Amino acid sequence: MNSEMLILFFIIALVLVGIAIIFSSLAAPRSTNPIKFDPYECGIPTEGPAWIQFNVGYYLFAIIYLIFDVETVFLFPWAVVMKSIGIRAFVEILIFFFILVLGLLYAWKKKALKWA
Amino acid sequence: MNVVMFYLLSAIILIFSLLSITTRKILRAAVYLLFVLVATSGFYFLLNYEFMAAVQLTLYAGGIVVLIIFSILLTSHISHKFKHPALLNLLMGAGVAVIGAGVALYIIFNEKFTANGQPELPVDMTAIGTQLLSTEKNGYVLPFELISVLLLAAIIAAIVIAKKGKQEEKES
Repeated sequence: MNSEMLILFFIIALVLVGIAIIFSSLAAPRSTNPIKFDPYECGIPTEGPAWIQFNVGYYLFAIIYLIFDVETVFLFPWAVVMKSIGIRAFVEILIFFFILVLGLLYAWKKKALKWA
Repeated sequence: MNVVMFYLLSAIILIFSLLSITTRKILRAAVYLLFVLVATSGFYFLLNYEFMAAVQLTLYAGGIVVLIIFSILLTSHISHKFKHPALLNLLMGAGVAVIGAGVALYIIFNEKFTANGQPELPVDMTAIGTQLLSTEKNGYVLPFELISVLLLAAIIAAIVIAKKGKQEEKES
């Protein structure tokens, strides 16, 4: 593993981005006007904090995403040996998928994928 | 294994672990945890253990952190800052940490880490895949298919629990 190149890459990236940020903060004109912190030039003033509570429905999406993420992990070793094993690997993954698609259908039927 | 990379990754893990437990903002702690998990996957890459690195990146850095961030954003006190702990709690925590570190160091220094002379097993993706899909003796095709049943059960359980909570809310 050629990790010296990787470290060099990290250092160059850090230096380049760092120079850009430092230079722009030095060169930018400064004004400390309270109106500057308003979100837009016109429109309604904002009310309350921007940190609002998310819809609980998101949580179900996250859990279902995590489960299919676990499924993806099992696809990595399958994809590597798929060609060398041939049709048998294909049938095995079809069974695997079929059982999981049942789960997706269940989620669909229960309207878990709907925007609540 | 590259020594420079090892120390670099160790430094990243240590620094961000410390930051994630010392920060007073919970969302920042989650993001620092993300850095720790990504750096851990770097260790697996150093060990040429690609499958474990892929699992670490997709599940932990990709899945678990998303779940943690979602659950933080779903709770009401997002911008809540933790107060500094009381002095007594701080002292007790430090005491427990010192005892724990002492026990761990005692065990590590008393153990002679000797290689047992066994040859290294191949852990590359091809070996795992062949073993996983093999229908012969010592093949893991049945557990492989059972995993999908387990995941199916997990999907159904997650939906049932989530939907049950919602219906109760509507009724009340």
